[in-house]
Amino acid sequence: MTALAQHAVVAPVLLPLASAALMLLMGEGRRGWKALLNLVSTAAGLALAVALLLRVQAEGPAAFSAPGSGVYLPGNWPVPYGIVLVADRLSALMAVLTGCAGLAAVLYSLARWQHAGVYFHALFQLQLMGLYGAFLTGDLFNLFVFFEVLLAASYGLLLHGGGLPRVRAGLHYIAINLVASLLFLIGVAVLYGVTGTLNMADIAAKLPLVPASDRGLLHAGAALLGIAFLAKAALWPLNFWLPPAYAAASAPAAAVFAVLTKVGVYAVLRLWTLCFPAGAGPSAGFGGSVLVWGGLATLAFGAIGMLASQRLARLAGYSVIASSGTLIAAIGFDDPQLTGGALYYLASSTLAGCALFLLVELLERAREVEHEPAAIDDGRPALPDFGDADPPAGTNLDDDEVALTGRAIPAALAFLGLAFMLCAMLVAGLPPLTGFVAKLAMLMALLDLRSPAAWTLFALLIASGLLSAMALMRVGIRHFWSPQDRPPPRLRVAETLPIAALLMASLALVIQAEPALSYTRATAEALHQPARYIDAVMAARPVARAAAREAAR
Amino acid sequence: MSLFFVLLLPFVGCAVAALLPTNARNLESSWAALVALGVAVPMALLHSQVQDGGVVVQRLMWLPSLGLNLVLRVDGFAWMFALLVSGMGLLVIVYARYYLSPDDPAARFYSLLLGFMGAMLGVVLSGQLVQLVVFWELTSIFSFLLIGYWTHRKDARRGARMAFTVTAAGGLCLLGGVLLLGHIVGSLELDAVLSAGDRVRAHPLYPATLTLVLLGALTKSAQFPFHFWLPHAMAAPTPVSAYLHSATMVKAGVFLLARLWPVLSGTDAWFWVVGGTGLLTLLLGAYAAMFQNDLKGLLAYSTISHLGLITLLLGLNSPLAAVAAVFHMMNHATFKASLFMSVGIIDHETGTRDMRRLDGLFRYMPITGTLAIVACAAMAGVPLLNGFLSKEMFFAETVFVSASPVVEFALPALATLAGVFAVVYSLRFGHDVFFGPPPHCPREPHEPVHWMRVPVELLVLACIVVGVAPTWAIGPLLSTAALPVVGAPLPSYSLALWHGFNAPMVMSLIALAAGTAVYLRYDAAFKQRSRRTAPGLLGLDGRRLFDGLLAAISAGARRGLRLAGTRRLQAQLLALVVIAALAGFASALIVPLTWGDRPRVPLTLEFVLLWLLGAACAVGAAWQAKFHRLVALAMLSVVGLALCITFAWFSAPDLALTQLAVEVVTLVLFLLGLRWMPKRVAQEDPRTATRAWWRRRRDLVLALALGAGLSALSYALLTRHAPLSISPFFIENALPLGGGSNVVNVMLVDFRAFDTMGEISVLGIVGITVYAVLRRFRPPLEVIDRPAQQRAIPDDFDGDLVTRSQGDTPQAYLAVPAVLVRLLLPLAAAFAFHLFMRGHNQPGGGFVAGLVLATAFIAQYMVSGTRWVEDRMHLRPPAWIGAGLLVALGTGLGALGFGFPFLTTHTAHVHWPWIGEVHLPSAALFDLGVFLVVVGATLLLLTAIAHQSLRARRRTEAG
Amino acid sequence: MEAVISIAIGVMAGAGVWLLLRPRSFQVLIGLSLLSYAVNLFIFSVGSLSVDAEPIVRPGLPADLAHYSDPMPQSLVLTAIVIGFATTALFLVVLLALRGLSGGDHVDGQEEQP
Repeated sequence: MTALAQHAVVAPVLLPLASAALMLLMGEGRRGWKALLNLVSTAAGLALAVALLLRVQAEGPAAFSAPGSGVYLPGNWPVPYGIVLVADRLSALMAVLTGCAGLAAVLYSLARWQHAGVYFHALFQLQLMGLYGAFLTGDLFNLFVFFEVLLAASYGLLLHGGGLPRVRAGLHYIAINLVASLLFLIGVAVLYGVTGTLNMADIAAKLPLVPASDRGLLHAGAALLGIAFLAKAALWPLNFWLPPAYAAASAPAAAVFAVLTKVGVYAVLRLWTLCFPAGAGPSAGFGGSVLVWGGLATLAFGAIGMLASQRLARLAGYSVIASSGTLIAAIGFDDPQLTGGALYYLASSTLAGCALFLLVELLERAREVEHEPAAIDDGRPALPDFGDADPPAGTNLDDDEVALTGRAIPAALAFLGLAFMLCAMLVAGLPPLTGFVAKLAMLMALLDLRSPAAWTLFALLIASGLLSAMALMRVGIRHFWSPQDRPPPRLRVAETLPIAALLMASLALVIQAEPALSYTRATAEALHQPARYIDAVMAARPVARAAAREAAR
Repeated sequence: MSLFFVLLLPFVGCAVAALLPTNARNLESSWAALVALGVAVPMALLHSQVQDGGVVVQRLMWLPSLGLNLVLRVDGFAWMFALLVSGMGLLVIVYARYYLSPDDPAARFYSLLLGFMGAMLGVVLSGQLVQLVVFWELTSIFSFLLIGYWTHRKDARRGARMAFTVTAAGGLCLLGGVLLLGHIVGSLELDAVLSAGDRVRAHPLYPATLTLVLLGALTKSAQFPFHFWLPHAMAAPTPVSAYLHSATMVKAGVFLLARLWPVLSGTDAWFWVVGGTGLLTLLLGAYAAMFQNDLKGLLAYSTISHLGLITLLLGLNSPLAAVAAVFHMMNHATFKASLFMSVGIIDHETGTRDMRRLDGLFRYMPITGTLAIVACAAMAGVPLLNGFLSKEMFFAETVFVSASPVVEFALPALATLAGVFAVVYSLRFGHDVFFGPPPHCPREPHEPVHWMRVPVELLVLACIVVGVAPTWAIGPLLSTAALPVVGAPLPSYSLALWHGFNAPMVMSLIALAAGTAVYLRYDAAFKQRSRRTAPGLLGLDGRRLFDGLLAAISAGARRGLRLAGTRRLQAQLLALVVIAALAGFASALIVPLTWGDRPRVPLTLEFVLLWLLGAACAVGAAWQAKFHRLVALAMLSVVGLALCITFAWFSAPDLALTQLAVEVVTLVLFLLGLRWMPKRVAQEDPRTATRAWWRRRRDLVLALALGAGLSALSYALLTRHAPLSISPFFIENALPLGGGSNVVNVMLVDFRAFDTMGEISVLGIVGITVYAVLRRFRPPLEVIDRPAQQRAIPDDFDGDLVTRSQGDTPQAYLAVPAVLVRLLLPLAAAFAFHLFMRGHNQPGGGFVAGLVLATAFIAQYMVSGTRWVEDRMHLRPPAWIGAGLLVALGTGLGALGFGFPFLTTHTAHVHWPWIGEVHLPSAALFDLGVFLVVVGATLLLLTAIAHQSLRARRRTEAG
Repeated sequence: MEAVISIAIGVMAGAGVWLLLRPRSFQVLIGLSLLSYAVNLFIFSVGSLSVDAEPIVRPGLPADLAHYSDPMPQSLVLTAIVIGFATTALFLVVLLALRGLSGGDHVDGQEEQP
């Protein structure tokens, strides 16, 4: 058991890869088996992530104390020469969020979307692999590789289902991300040229030693790297691609994308706390104010967008922008209390966004129009016509469905209404749900900062809450209250279950707010003492031959 | 009995009621009544503990680290309100049972009503400010849902939206204010805040705090200028209006003012803002109420004015006034709720609420009429009724207020004026509706079922009892409720009916007399008016302003979005590029770039020439890419070759090899793609021409700047001394530990094999994505017909791009190259094998080998045609990818069996006969995985595009 | 030599950026390819530039960057080349799909409105 436990860090990355490879071997048919495999492996991935989180938490402040725990050396090469995987509190948190979103999306896709194209399940697994890898790796170039993995998979998922809007949005999305990746590469190259290493911890350790003559290079490289991340984190004005792409994407894909923007935020948080902490000499707090004001602008832009958008899907996209703006601004202040609140907000907004995107599709289903004549794809209509009464062949949920719609439409509508109201309250940060608690935690931390920027964020947080509440209420009234002649939606258990589960998770986060917040606070504390991370990584040693034989026996 | 259960009960009731059958009115109402009783009784039992200043506090730890715990705090004031909420709730529940029609969904109504009761209870019982805000917002949400109960009605939707927007906005301001308050005091608990009044009033943040808190309170209590939402909230079912919009929710604002009275009041700011707002609202509301012809509208405006009265009292900064305010809160709740209910009865029985149609109802419904008239009298402040008492106290306060002479004169006068108005609108309801000619209303009016009247009877009874025997009926209650607000000692006041013939008495008499006179003079005129707005207010209509505001906001948002956002790719890329450039330059300028002094590598002429060519081709490609795609493509590959040679030049053979192979495949790919591009002809839309011209200039400058920037960056990097890099480690250990002498390859498959694994996953993903996308590819019609060049080929040829009847064998078309290429396949395979095997020690490796093999395959496709190839070989590229990934993964996992981390390699040194010592590193197996994936992915890419020709053809055949 | 390399990088990058901002999808494609060339060469040039260094380990040669070419940037470039190739191919295909659906070859799927 202990022999396997030490591989827990890499497991979340390998599991999806393995299942994806199997799916590819299965060929194009066998949807049922693929779906099952997808579901099982995603659930297992979530379990692994949770286990990781529990372990990291159990180690408490003295994280990485046990040798090899948390730090993993694939290839068994000594630090800093080989690649290193690190599971600290932040990574574990992100991994768990990924698992949640993934599981919800898979469940949801079982109802309809898995039929909309080939290799959906394989792409989905590889998407998860990319996300887990990006969150767990401790090597800068490896981070780039996993960024590419998750981006490539996201291209595939975004295009899943076809149609002009998807393809157009996909083209823009790909073009922008390709350029961003090139910037990423330049940044990596410069950092390597300046520090001569790629291991994040090693880079952070070597940065103070960089001669003054190279500072310019260093800063230029870091700045380009930052731009690459911020473009993925949807910072204004690098975020115009997001609403069309997320609105066009199929619901399960969009639900996973709710995590995608957080990857950029994660990368910024990780590298900036690591490389430019308060004690980093001449480069201390490099670019902090840019993050703050950029984040504020993004938040404002998101709120305005929500107010301006007519379609619920676009509105959801803008809400994602607003949330990442909030996060970036909060991170920019580089204050542990604030970061702690922000991390709680990150969790809350990810779950809420995921649920919202799943819900949006159910709500807009009636008016859903495929811009492409249903293209023939392996003998099945491109997208099961949403008006239809009978489910597409292959969904063995008929009984459930009959049961659900048999129990009269109001049940379905009531569920949608309730779910929408909860989502709206989560997104707008209305009491008493997680959105409110998170904003409260940030507001109270902001009160102690007393800088103009802090007051601005204070005001914007409250104002944006109001604006998004107004926008969501408008949409809600239009969807639920205005007399509608369109047929009531037909829900399947597989579609309602994930939404309900996500909302339940949010409720749990409210009730357990104290432990959750203390976890995120501890995370923030750890992030603001990079030395601990660095020491832990540098202290990791490869497995000696003798020890290996021991373990093998 | 924990208070938390009492608080939880309504919410549980809410959930249960939602699950009960939709139209079971009896079941629903009795359940709801039960719940209300379950709240009221335990609250009532608390009296002994709170009567003389006692406080009951209960805590529940929730977020101690933020100082956010659930605190329930009952003092006399909260207790009074809790009774009001639950008791009034009970009456309304009973009343609504008969008000709702059988086909109204009673489940929703009652569950929302109970939910609101819980929220309101939470507001009054909160001992912690943020918690108070939470319940505060919850009341807004429930009121929103209740106003919109009849969702099909437009006015209901609008009213609900308006009410929610205003009150929720206020609530968020309140949140800000509360947080500031907590920040000043250092705790959010009510006890701490109440005891820190002086500190708060002295604090520099006091004005901001006051403003935010007042915004919250005044919006909720519909005070000017936020009063306009209340009349529109009357679209709600009458029980809701009676409960939320007269008795409880709108009282939340004044409740909060009274709650924080000890903390915030006592300053001039408080006096002028709160008192001023109150006075304005009092007058305005009363004035507007006179002109209403809708009974509920009249009551709504009178509610506004009475709330203004309470606010004014609280604003006067005198304890006695505060007591009067508390007293009037109770009185107003009783008579106003009873009035709303009687309006509901009238509406229910006659089918209209329009005073222009209602007349002489008394002879049809005498009992209801009597009740309504008594309640009206209470509202007008007629002696022997409770309204009279609190009004007397109010008049007294206005007389005895000590401020600037102007105020001391104006206040009583205005108060009296408001009294006059009050009498007028009370008479309009009490007299005009019930006496006079018979009504002409839709239905033949008659008394309602008795139980519908019972709540009204109880309330009116209360009015009379309090009015007749105040000291006995209300005295102890009032002292209990007022004590916590003004704090001990309670100012001396007497609830006697007769204080002798003094100023307040005079004012009352004036009000009654003048009011009656005005009514008799103008009643007919009032009834003639059709407009809802009162005259003299410049037609100032809150709703239109509000709607205009909302429209302006969303229009502004859309405009802002157009200004701050774009959907065009070019603009987005421009933003990205510019920002990257700025970031790079700016941060490089902070610490200027410096050239290093590393010894330069001597210049060679050939190299310079090479890059002269390369640069020329790069520029040429940029120049030609629009109109001559093929030329641009050729130039692009020349650049690629230059790059390849450069790699070779600077001793990086692996890079050179890979670059070459990739170059070839990319070229083929692009060529296949070119077939589908549209014919590009110069089309300068004159309207966009100038813009395009400017854009080109701008981009040219930008391109030059960026090129220069990147050049500078790389030059600075190239000329400085390399830091101590980690690279020597790899060179040292490549052979001994990595088991290969080609360092780069060892890095790929061993040192950084994890990267390679990700890399091949990317290849695989792209492969299947391309496949999935192209399944849906629909070539545009104009390019489906075969190009002119191909129309020239002999008719009896069978290939991709032309289909003939089956059976025709391909004839002498590209026959020789086809045969040669077929021979090429085994050779290529052998070469690939060679590259693969030597990869670990010499330039080569799985990746290049894979590309070579794939190229050989694609050559077959190109020359012999897709069908010919696929008839003879059954390639399943996705399977290759999957297999490759599995092989790589399996190799990595193998290490786990030996207790090593993932991807740890092991080199076996076997001695084979005739061959000799052979190194067999497990990395080679990993490389095999790479090889498989590369072959699979590349094939998938190329064939997927190549197939389009067939599909397009099929499509045309299909029609 | 250093100057030549960096100028080459600059030229390729400049041409790439210019094409990137053009409205025709094919131009953007070529631009992306040129940019990735530039970036690859840039990464490569970060390692110590050396004309006659050994890429392959030869016994007896002291293992330092004076005698060997820096393997790290090379392996990075290799990975970058592969990923660049894959993503460019994907972009090409999506471009074709858009072309097929929209009928034109404008990156926005429709000609610019004046």
